[in-house]
This record gives sequence, C-alpha cells and structure tokens, in this order.
Amino acid sequence: MPTLLRIAWRNSLRNWRRTAIAVTAIAVGLAASMVLTAWGRGMFQQMADSAIRLRLAHLSVHAGGYAQDPDISRSLPDGGRAALVRLATRKGVHPTPRLEGAGLIQSSRNSGRVAVVGVVPRTEAQVSAVPGSMVAGSYLGGTERQRVPPIVIGSAMAERLRVRLGDKVVVHVPGEAAAGAFRVRGLFRVASTEFERSVAFLQLADAQRLFELPGRVTEVAILLDEPDGATALQQWLRAELPDGQEVLRWQEREPALASMLQLMDDIYWVTYAVVFVAMAFGIANVLIMAVYERTRELGVMRSIGLRGRGVVALVLWESLLLTLIGTALGLGIGLGLVLWMAEEGIDLSAFSEGLRSWGIGTIIYPRLILDDLVAPVALAATTALVAGLWPAIRAARMPPARAVRQA
Amino acid sequence: MTPPILEAHDVVKDYEVRTVVTRALDGVTLSVDPGELCAVAGPSGSGKTTLLNVLGTLDRVTSGSVRLGGVDVDALSEAERADLRLRKVGFIFQAYNLIPVLTASENVEFVLLLQGLGASARRERAREVLADLGLGDLIDKRPTEMSGGQQQRVAVARAIVSNPQIVLADEPTANLDSRTAESLLDLMVQMNAERDVTFLFSSHDPRVMARARRIVHLVDGRIAKDEVQAT
Repeated sequence: MPTLLRIAWRNSLRNWRRTAIAVTAIAVGLAASMVLTAWGRGMFQQMADSAIRLRLAHLSVHAGGYAQDPDISRSLPDGGRAALVRLATRKGVHPTPRLEGAGLIQSSRNSGRVAVVGVVPRTEAQVSAVPGSMVAGSYLGGTERQRVPPIVIGSAMAERLRVRLGDKVVVHVPGEAAAGAFRVRGLFRVASTEFERSVAFLQLADAQRLFELPGRVTEVAILLDEPDGATALQQWLRAELPDGQEVLRWQEREPALASMLQLMDDIYWVTYAVVFVAMAFGIANVLIMAVYERTRELGVMRSIGLRGRGVVALVLWESLLLTLIGTALGLGIGLGLVLWMAEEGIDLSAFSEGLRSWGIGTIIYPRLILDDLVAPVALAATTALVAGLWPAIRAARMPPARAVRQA
Repeated sequence: MTPPILEAHDVVKDYEVRTVVTRALDGVTLSVDPGELCAVAGPSGSGKTTLLNVLGTLDRVTSGSVRLGGVDVDALSEAERADLRLRKVGFIFQAYNLIPVLTASENVEFVLLLQGLGASARRERAREVLADLGLGDLIDKRPTEMSGGQQQRVAVARAIVSNPQIVLADEPTANLDSRTAESLLDLMVQMNAERDVTFLFSSHDPRVMARARRIVHLVDGRIAKDEVQAT
C-alpha cells in the first residue's frame, strides 16, 4: 500500500467516531437514493410494460399515415400478410394482426364509447397481457360456432354497462346501420382502468365483418423476446415491406411515455447528485476539522520535504477512503433492500385506483439497472475529489513555519 | 577551504498582523561551516525560531539573502524549497515531532520515501540508523507508545537518516526532563563527533550551551555576540 494511502487510512481511524458518523451518513443517503430510484424505475417500467403488453407491443406495422391519424380506413390491404410471412420464421419475434376501430357498446342498461379490437386469439396470447388477465369466463378462441359471436370486455366496462358473463351487448360502428350483437365470453382485469373501461375484443373475422373490411387489419403488433433488438428489426422490416407500410417502435407511437421514462432517468441522476452535494458538505466539514487538528503534523511533513501536492494527495486519499467506504456500505445496504423488495414487491393496494389510472399495478417491483450502481460510484469519486479539494489546498498552502508553530 | 553550508546576509524578517509590523530579525549575517556544532541562544522572543525557519527555508525573508548549500533559497519556488529541505536539511522540533500514525521505522523511512528510495532499501537503512541510536526495540512502536525522550531520539534518527548537510534543531530539549535531555544532547554531540553531522540548535537551555562549540547570541532579532567556546 502506498505510504500516503496508509497514512490516510490510519488517519481515518484516529477519530473513528467522526469517521463512522460520516460514513454512516453517506451510506444511509446513498441507500435511500437507491431504494427511491429502484422504486421509481420499477413503477415507470411497469407503466411502460403495461402499455406495451396491452396495446403498443414493441413494434407495429401499419398503413402509411395511420400513426398520425389512426383511422380504420387506413388499414393494411394485404391483411398484414407481408409482415406476417417475413416474421414467421424469426425466433423470439411474435407478430399478431389486429383490426381496431371506434364504436359504441350498448347493453340493455347502459352504453358507452369503445375501441373494438379484432384479434387472432392464438397469436394474440403471445403478444398481449389480456388473455392472461381473465377474471371471469374465458378469452376468445375455440372452434365451436356460436349463433351470437363472443366478446371480451374489461371488468370496469362490465360494471359500467351492468352486464355479466353470458349477457348480450350490441356494438355499433360507423357505417350504414353497422351493428352487431355479441355475447360476453370473458371479463379481464388489467393494470390500467382506462384500458379496462374502453376496449373490447372480438375475433378478427367478426371484427372484419362488423367493420365491413374483409381481409383487412389496421396493424401487425410485434412483441420481442429481446426488446433491445427492436431498432434493428424495424430497419430490416422497413427495407423488406412494400411501400405504403410503416414500421414503428412503441417509443414512436407513444413519445410522451418514452419521454417520461427518459425524464425519469435524468431525475435519478439529479437525485443522486443532490444526495452527493449534501454529502460533499459533510465530507468537507470532516476533512476541515481533520486538517485543522493536524496542522502541526502536516507542517512537520512539509518541513522534512513533503511537497504541497503531497499534502493535497494525502487529504484527497482521506476524502476518497471516507467516501468509498460509505459508498460501498450504501451500495450493499441499498442493493440488499432493493433485492428484498423486488422479491416481495411493494404492496400499494391502498392507492390502487390512483395507480391503475396510470396503468401501474398495485404491487410495485423495484428495479435497478447497472447504471444505478455505476452512477453512485462515479459520483462518489467526484464528490470525494471536490469535497476534499478545498481542505487539501488550504492545508497545502499553509506556510510550514506557521504550521509547525500551531499547538 | 570548504564553503559554508549556510550563509545569511543582512537578513530582515518582519511579521505583519493586521496593521502592526513586528521585526523578528533585524540585519542578521551569519554563516555555518560543515561539522559545526552551533547554538543560537537568546531569551524568548529574541528571534531564534524565526532565524532557524528562514535558514531552513520554512519561511521567507523580508529582505537580505540566505544561501543553503550554495543555493540562493529566495529564488526558489515552494516546491523547489521542499526539495532542497529534503536533500540538504534535517529538522528536529520541540515536540510532537513524529507522524503519530506511523511506527518509529516508518517515520524514519518517510524521508527516504520522499527521496524516492525503494521499499527494502528504506527499511534496511531506517532500521540500521535506529539500531545505531539504541532504538532497535522501538522499530514497530508508534509515538504514543514511546516516552518523550524516545520520540526525540527517533526524530534525531529521522533527521540524520538521509545524511543531510545540516540538522536544524529548534529547542530540542524543551519538553524533556533533565536526564533525557542530557542523553539526547550527548547523542547529538556524538553524531557530530563521529559522523561529522553539522548541527545548528536554537535554545536557551544551559545544557545545550555547555555542549555547543559556537554560540550565537541573539537579542531583539540582532546578533549580539558570536563566540567560539574553548573545548
């Protein structure tokens, strides 16, 4: 171990209570920031995951202009076959066709606006969270023909329409007397109340009949096992598909949500920065006291030939040791807490309605990424240098003759 | 003829506290030759410590000049002065001389470390000097585990370990009981006689005066008398 580092280490232990307090303050501040960051990241990631698994998917193929004006008249004339055929053999890529249009849903007791989504149940189950979120009845599918075709709606919509399983509802869509009767096959419950209240699912063929658009779909939604590959797949698909079809990542369809996630990333950095700025004052205070108490000792070291920059290095080593020990401890405590909470989840059922209106589940699973561990270490090192610099320069600038006179 | 190790010419040192200027040294001219055992004597406030500080490059003169080992120290930057001290001067202060978190051996090694000596050479040399001074048992002890006299002896070891041209000792016996003080002074006289180490003390301790071969009397920042004692 270099001698200056050894001296710095032993100096840190001289007033161990003061060192322990400073290290504890750093550790607690950092652990608390990590838990808050993990909580926020988990919450917003759940919001994004919910949007992806309910509507957006990772990628989607549409007719040109659909993203700007999502009108059913801008449907894919080939029924999405160009995309479906090309993606059929790619591993980890799950495409499903959808036909979505606006309508009015009516029961014998109530009515309301609805987004009608026609799906292929087998492939939809690989993409959407809805088939796995049934709380009553079952999802679409099955081979038996029924006189009244099935519909799946959300629990919130069922409450609004005051219908139960097996009840009949009528769906009206724009067009000349376009309407159809459907029997409620299943009720789903998902993280977003808004989605639950406003979306109804039909079999694709039934939806095409209802909207009088045989063979047509408005999108091919694509879910990826490896979401990081979305951009590459998007570029490949763009080159492969015929003109007039657009391929969008979910961030392009919902830029507000993507921006919010990015903003949260920035806020995590700000959170860490605020914690470390507060720490910097604490560390500087400890070092100023330490340097003041050792003025004579530093004067003796200067007298026997230690240069000013040696004194700076000595004080900075102390600052770095203090900060890094606190950071290591904080990372350990923070990581332990986050892992424990990630296992159990944080149950926020008391605020469930508020959270569901944002598309977040009632149990939050905190989440950390590698950056959340790298950021505090990088900031800790910077803080140590910044906080230690002033006391260090002050100590180095003190004339040795005056320093050795100090009692 | 061997040139002097230290030369001070018409040195003036003023201290300014707010608007009050105090003259600590007033036209001091002095030279110290190799092998001398010289004491700067005088009452408290006469400027002894200030003189040792400017001669040892710990402080700058207000006017006049100081040459250490033939080098004009006023022309040097702080870093160059630190290097000059490292190569040419050993220091012994009144008390609290040692770095408390280092052992006796590490304290002595510290000078050699700053000089860039390798770890094993440093350790060997430090242990050799400590053993020569009868401190072999204290090698791994920290200052808090030593008596005041033992600490001062380790300080002497640190001061001479790199064979400096001169050792400046500022009231080295001030905090020692008389037996320990006598023993420390005997050690320094022995170093001077056997190893030709040049010592310049500041002190008003009669025991120091009794051993010094030359005494420079300082009164109110001026040299009142510069006498060589008969041996």
